[in-house]
Amino acid sequence: MVPRKKHYRPAGKKKEGNAARYITRSQAIKQLQVTLGFFRRLSILKGIFPREPKKKFKGNNHTYYHVKDVAFLQHEPLLDKFRDIRAYQKKIKKAEAKKNADLATLLRTREPTYKLDKLVRERYPKFVDALRDLDDCLTMVHLFAALPAVERAKIDVELIHNCRRLSHEWQAYVCRTYKLRKVFISVKGIYYQAEIEGQKITWLTPHAMQQILPDDVNFSVMLTFLEFYETLLGFVNFRLYHSLNVNIGFCMLYSMASVSFAHLTYHAAIDSADLYALSRYIVSNTRTSTLEPKAASSSTSEQLEAKEKEMQADESELRLAQLQHQLPSNEPGALMHLMEGAECENEDDQDTKECKRLFKNMKFFLSREVPRESLLFVIPAFGGVVSWDGEAAPYKEADQSISHQIVDRPTQGHRYLSREYVQPQWIYDCINARIILPTEAYMVGRIPPPHLSPFVDNDAEGYIPDYAETIKRLQAAARNEVLPMPGVGKEDLDDPQNLLVEGYISRTEANEAAQTKKKMVTLEKQYHEELQSELQGAVMKKSKQGSVEHAKTSEESVPDPKQIAEDIDTMSKLGMSRKKRGLLEAIEKGKERNTARISKLKERKKKLKSSEN
Amino acid sequence: MGASKKESVEVDKKEEEKKNRKKTQRTKKEKLSTEESLLHLKQEDTATDYKVFSEDDASEDYKSVEKSEAGDSESSGDEGFHNTGSNEGLANEGQSEDSEPDQGGEESDSSEDEVAPRNTVGDVPLEWYRDEKHIGYDIAGKKLKKKERQDKLDSFLANVDNSKNWRKIYDEYNDEDVELTKEETKLIRRMLKGKAPHGDFDLYAPYVDWFKWEDSKHPLSNAPEPKSRFIPSKWEAKKVLGLVRAIRKGLIKFDKPKEEPRFYMLWGDDASSSEKTGHLSYIPAPKPNLPGHEESYNPSLEYIPTQEEINSYQLMDEEDRPKFIPKRFMSLRSIPAYENVVKDSFERCLDLYLCPRVRKKRINIDPESLKPKLPGRKDLKPYPATCYLEYKGHKGAVMSISTETSGHWIASGSSDGTVRLWEVETCRCIKVWEFGEVVQYVAWNPLPELPILAVSVGQDVFLLNTGLGNEETQRKVKELLHVATSTVLDDSGNKVSAWSWLQDDKHEGIRLRHFKTVYSVEWHRKGDYFSTLSKKFTQRHPFKLHGLPVSAVFHPTRSIFFVSTKKNVRVYDLLKQKLIKKLENGLRDNVIVGSRDGKLCWFDMDLSSKPYKVLKCHPKDITNVAFHRSYPLFASCSDDCTAYVFHGMVYSDLNQNPLIVPLEILRGHASSNGRGVLDCKFHPRQPWLFTAGADSLIKLYCH
Repeated sequence: MVPRKKHYRPAGKKKEGNAARYITRSQAIKQLQVTLGFFRRLSILKGIFPREPKKKFKGNNHTYYHVKDVAFLQHEPLLDKFRDIRAYQKKIKKAEAKKNADLATLLRTREPTYKLDKLVRERYPKFVDALRDLDDCLTMVHLFAALPAVERAKIDVELIHNCRRLSHEWQAYVCRTYKLRKVFISVKGIYYQAEIEGQKITWLTPHAMQQILPDDVNFSVMLTFLEFYETLLGFVNFRLYHSLNVNIGFCMLYSMASVSFAHLTYHAAIDSADLYALSRYIVSNTRTSTLEPKAASSSTSEQLEAKEKEMQADESELRLAQLQHQLPSNEPGALMHLMEGAECENEDDQDTKECKRLFKNMKFFLSREVPRESLLFVIPAFGGVVSWDGEAAPYKEADQSISHQIVDRPTQGHRYLSREYVQPQWIYDCINARIILPTEAYMVGRIPPPHLSPFVDNDAEGYIPDYAETIKRLQAAARNEVLPMPGVGKEDLDDPQNLLVEGYISRTEANEAAQTKKKMVTLEKQYHEELQSELQGAVMKKSKQGSVEHAKTSEESVPDPKQIAEDIDTMSKLGMSRKKRGLLEAIEKGKERNTARISKLKERKKKLKSSEN
Repeated sequence: MGASKKESVEVDKKEEEKKNRKKTQRTKKEKLSTEESLLHLKQEDTATDYKVFSEDDASEDYKSVEKSEAGDSESSGDEGFHNTGSNEGLANEGQSEDSEPDQGGEESDSSEDEVAPRNTVGDVPLEWYRDEKHIGYDIAGKKLKKKERQDKLDSFLANVDNSKNWRKIYDEYNDEDVELTKEETKLIRRMLKGKAPHGDFDLYAPYVDWFKWEDSKHPLSNAPEPKSRFIPSKWEAKKVLGLVRAIRKGLIKFDKPKEEPRFYMLWGDDASSSEKTGHLSYIPAPKPNLPGHEESYNPSLEYIPTQEEINSYQLMDEEDRPKFIPKRFMSLRSIPAYENVVKDSFERCLDLYLCPRVRKKRINIDPESLKPKLPGRKDLKPYPATCYLEYKGHKGAVMSISTETSGHWIASGSSDGTVRLWEVETCRCIKVWEFGEVVQYVAWNPLPELPILAVSVGQDVFLLNTGLGNEETQRKVKELLHVATSTVLDDSGNKVSAWSWLQDDKHEGIRLRHFKTVYSVEWHRKGDYFSTLSKKFTQRHPFKLHGLPVSAVFHPTRSIFFVSTKKNVRVYDLLKQKLIKKLENGLRDNVIVGSRDGKLCWFDMDLSSKPYKVLKCHPKDITNVAFHRSYPLFASCSDDCTAYVFHGMVYSDLNQNPLIVPLEILRGHASSNGRGVLDCKFHPRQPWLFTAGADSLIKLYCH
């Protein structure tokens, strides 16, 4: 008996290998019987992406989807739902065309909706997976929170307020659990990096400016992404707040009030104040005991009260009661007390503890012109207390206990002697360095030192900017000093000269200990020179030149080893197979590019120095 | 008087009833006062009357008002009973005796006014009464007497005295002077302007259509009321029934559906959610690149390109151009909005759903690990490594060198037209032959007992007696060379036309003249034969060649002859005189071929016609390759002024691949005219290498 074929294939049709496993996009669309727009939307929501077959059987200019992916789309209930919605829209349209306004409105009230929660669960079976993929989500939500509502792009106000709410919830969580790790102000916006459950989550918020909406952007694609991201972030926030034993429902209610308030009179100040209040609410709720309400002193609750007047009476009363019950009183002492309470409760990892302690015992005040939203997020995330110039501020500018005032103006008129006036960059640099930097360079009216990216591994990069070096030294010094006696005075830390010297001493000691190799010695010599030149200005030019000359002569005297090494290198390359040689050459090219970049930087630096002198 | 008063009160009542908001002050007064001056009352009267009209009949026009006024003025003369309804009929009764007929004509219009005129002549020309003693008749039919005329002077004087004179108008009809009130002047003014006389009158009041036009084509119908109007609708009842049923079934809900919480604990326990999804593995998208120092708003100064560099970016190709140019802002407040925020985000979106994803293993390869493991060079010693001696003397590029079999001597031919004979160990130039032309090639006879040198110069090949060796060999050589002149050598074949044998006395040798330039001369291993290559042909050999020959080599041990043309290398068996093999692209049986593209190929003759190994070592042309007779060494030299020395070990075990190890790169020659090392030869016994450079030097590399 002839064995039956397992899979019948009509004669002449060859479907094996890649051709059987992959289909092109147009084929997929045909198979699913949807329009391209639907397919796009569905694949975005489902997270289906094209895959690269080993052999592109239809040519290079096709996108290929895996057959299983397409089948996965085909079984998606959302596909049917979309079809239903479309049919329903047609009904409405028909009713309108027949001037049956009653029917049209009736139909409008019962429009079918869909939910994406299943998709979220499907795409991210574990919470950690969701956190891992959160970067794009956060960036997008924060972007839309900063965009204006535009009719033509179908960006409506509610969407933007929802984004704003979600971003505030997220920031409030990050802020109050002290999970923020790095902040970087770039030209593109402000990058934040938080570490939650071991996942590093980086997101970008645009600068608080009027954003331009370009014409060559397909907003429907972005809005589809955003639709999913909103759901995802909502669930993530819920889960995170749940882990803090805070009911996000209240927060949402509260922030919804602010949103509806924002409908009437929106401006950023109140918004950021909301964030602050929200984050504080979370803190208060994590505590086991609730404070006695001090209604009169809480300006935030007053502000909320004002807002609530806009709301319906019963609801506002309810919430007012909640707020007064749960929002802490506004006195700084009470606030600090609260934080301590929260601190004892949960066991944090070392990093979190360090972050929590950074701005401890410091009181900040923000001037009008600084980016308030960012600073109100960042400073409390590192344990600082902050107030601002404007309504609903916890304390006024005249408060004598303020230790730092963040100012970003050319000159400061009236100055309190008890506090330091610094530019906002100081905060960010302190955060990235995890130490309190000396404020001298950041004083009002000065051009601050370069703001360096905390995301760059300087050693791996091969080039270390000057300021990174100084920060390193300061860090080393701070570590040495702070560790034995943690209750060190601020005054000591603030003196940069002291710090520099200390750092220098500690480094030299370390070097002496490791002084076995000759290379290290030369390195140290260079280091000495740099250090001295930094301390005493550029007086040491002569000696440097001498050393350079010396180096040159030594190079000339022994050209052989270099040549030999090169020869050996080329000869070893001769024996390689072509593939390996290509790989090696690629590696070398990459290295070369890197060195070229670095050498360019160095060259520029040298030029700058020479032009300065 | 009484009547008019009564009427005015009536009017007031009417007004009160209608709650007319526009009561004048005078009407209020009127309520109270009954005993007032006649004139006054009359005036009141007219005003209120007018009001009544204006209210009652909105369509009453301007004319009637005028009339009322006229009537009013008449009434001021004497107070008589008058009836609004009847006055019209009676108006014509009296005829005025006034002299001004035209005025009277006008005046007579007012007779229809509601205020009853005392004169009842009606609308007749007043001139009819001009000559009468009376002006007309009152309502009872009595004659109304004309007043006595004041003489003109008196009236003038009275007028002059009276400041209100301008208000006075003489009424011919009633024969009296009428003083106009303020209200009346106002009315007159309004009329003069063409407006409605009374300010409150709305000319354009909305039209009220009192007639019902509903469902009647014709205004009235006598049809009886249909029955259907008394019976409840069947369809309505059905509809209601349906709704009731739907409500009972719960299809229609009146309270809004409870809103489920939008968010809930999606991820309950992560431990429980470890179920496997049935579909393909999810490849997470790569995270966007993190920003470096240069993206800072305030980067270090060295990250900012100079203006020249920025300008140079414009010259670059679109793809190479850096997408982001670092900028520096002095303070945080001066950062502008980034114009590409939305666009960047959008592009990221596109990447996420349009870019095919592949899981790529990123291996961190140590570049050292890629290099093949070769035996150490120390183990493969001896090999020529360092320059030991230099042979100076030539004035042009040394084109060719050749070593004597014993290894004591080398000969070199140079482009300055000389052939020199050197002693290897002492660097001494023993002998110099001068030829006028460039020496292309020199070759020693491999037989030690015949120290003959073949030199190709231009179109000639010289066989030279070097004068080495003892006397016996000298004699032998001389004899050989001499004999050669007399008879045509056998080995050169039958045809003589390609070249000619000549005795060259000057150099003590034989001269073979070819038609074309001779490139190379190569001896057979036994020294009996040699081959020459000229542009057109070599010596007449029995082999057909495709393309121009470049060089020819005899096999060192077997009777095989290699001819390399520009395309390939042909291998001939000399005994059978036929082609054995064609090597694409190019000794036991391994051939090394250097090609002009700087590649060195190692062929295994037994295996295939494809090279076993190709070594791309020289960036420029390979000028020559050489192998050592006894050591497992071979070398290549090139125009890039280097010579490579390789270890090429061939094992007797056929399964083991030959081992090729690059050993040394020999440098030292300088480039001249774009040419570097022109020739290389191994010392026949020692692992030494001679190289001839275009810089007129010959170098000896020893181990």
